[in-house]
Amino acid sequence: MKRQSMALLEIENLEAFYGRARSLHGIGLEVEAGSIVGIIGPNGAGKSTLLDSILGLTKAKGDIRFDGTSIVGLPSTKIVRMGIGYAPERGHLFPFMGVRDNLLVGAHTVPKDAEKNLATVYGLFPALKSRERQETGTQSGGERQMVSLGRALMSRPRLLIVDEPTIGLAPKICGDIASALRRMNQELGMTILLTEQNVNFAMHLANDIHVLETGEIRLSGSAGELRDDPQLREAYFGN
Amino acid sequence: MINVLIQGLALSGLYALLAVGFTMIFSVGRVLNLAYGVYIMLGGYMYYTAVQVLGLPKIGGFAFAIASGIAFGVLTYTILVRRLEDNPVAVEIATLILAVVMQSLIILIYRPVSKSMWPVVQGVFRYEGVFVTYNLLVAMVVSWVALAGLLLFVRYTRYGRAIQAVSMDRKGAVISGIDPRQMNLATWAISGALGALAGVFFATYTQLNPSMWVGPLIVAVAVVVVGGIGSIIGSLIVAHIIGFMETFTTALIAAELRGVFTMILIIVVLVVAPKGLFGRSEL
Repeated sequence: MKRQSMALLEIENLEAFYGRARSLHGIGLEVEAGSIVGIIGPNGAGKSTLLDSILGLTKAKGDIRFDGTSIVGLPSTKIVRMGIGYAPERGHLFPFMGVRDNLLVGAHTVPKDAEKNLATVYGLFPALKSRERQETGTQSGGERQMVSLGRALMSRPRLLIVDEPTIGLAPKICGDIASALRRMNQELGMTILLTEQNVNFAMHLANDIHVLETGEIRLSGSAGELRDDPQLREAYFGN
Repeated sequence: MINVLIQGLALSGLYALLAVGFTMIFSVGRVLNLAYGVYIMLGGYMYYTAVQVLGLPKIGGFAFAIASGIAFGVLTYTILVRRLEDNPVAVEIATLILAVVMQSLIILIYRPVSKSMWPVVQGVFRYEGVFVTYNLLVAMVVSWVALAGLLLFVRYTRYGRAIQAVSMDRKGAVISGIDPRQMNLATWAISGALGALAGVFFATYTQLNPSMWVGPLIVAVAVVVVGGIGSIIGSLIVAHIIGFMETFTTALIAAELRGVFTMILIIVVLVVAPKGLFGRSEL
């Protein structure tokens, strides 16, 4: 019998390994279609490992279902083709290619829509349009983050996964990134799963929040619930 | 003097074509393919077999040579390199052994003697004390056309960009839906084709013999080491440095020493600038 669930992404009992060391210990979470879900937690909690596991980039056990289909063990390229976009930690851009070429690589799986999607990305990040030819290796952190999000967008994924979008960025740029993410969610109908160390940023943007510590989920709830949680306030806001 | 310059230019064009297939594999797969010289040797011997043994037209000779270069490149990658992917040293050892095995096979089939190849184009260009064989001029033009085509392919096509992406950031390429193995395979096929094409002209420039894979391999290694790069433009520049150096050595000192200076250059650059003169390893 098919489960009564609207979740676009379902993770159950996920364990991930680096060599022999286990770095995730039985993670479970769901991402509803159309929502923004934030994962917060300190450095080394396993946030990037969790996201890498969804994309099939680590050795993982357990179950991950995307739109009802199990994707554990599938090659990463196939997972991307199913409709998951990823803006990973540190971007992993192509430093000696210009902005436009970086974005076009993001459309590798959908060559026919490349020009159309390029226009969408430039609409979200007009600053990139004027720097089309600049090599991303020479750009500022904020611009690189925009290219990274833009590249993930180029395949028009149903689920966009973003690892620490604000890391190392000035507050003004963080605001730009936040509004771009919100527009992707509301105007483009994209479901978003993101990680953050910046708790305020995540609380501000996400519907649901999960707190990850040392490879386990300690706390889950809606952003509203967690904002008033004494445990979380103590741990992250220091008041 | 003008004569030496033109000779140098023509030889450099051929060297650029020799080296670029090798540097592509280095920049995309991060491995040194020491069997690369075999593609060059194979190109020469296959053209010779097709044209001088079987009597096929020259165009058939080229097709035969390039097809065998592609086939050998693809086989080297799928049978050997893909299994050793995470271990560059193992790839180097395995490809070097492969080259020696192929040398033995060539000796077995074609005997250990040198064979001379007919030039692809007959005749000598003479003008006011300048004389260059048409063969070398054609080699130069073909090299430039092939290199320009390669550059356009890599910069402006979807697959070319995907190959570049793998060379610059493998993870970035994977999350864009690109299969690095597929791009590696394409690179090895292109490399085999370019090597074999260069091999036809190289064999007519020198001679066919079972150890002819060594010289071009040293040139190709020199281009990677001296340039420190897998960039196509960079390969062109370094190929010209080496080509002119060898031509001047031959003209002004002694023909026997020309390869020696290339090797000295490799060692000097390794000591002085271990990352190479341009210090970049992406395509």
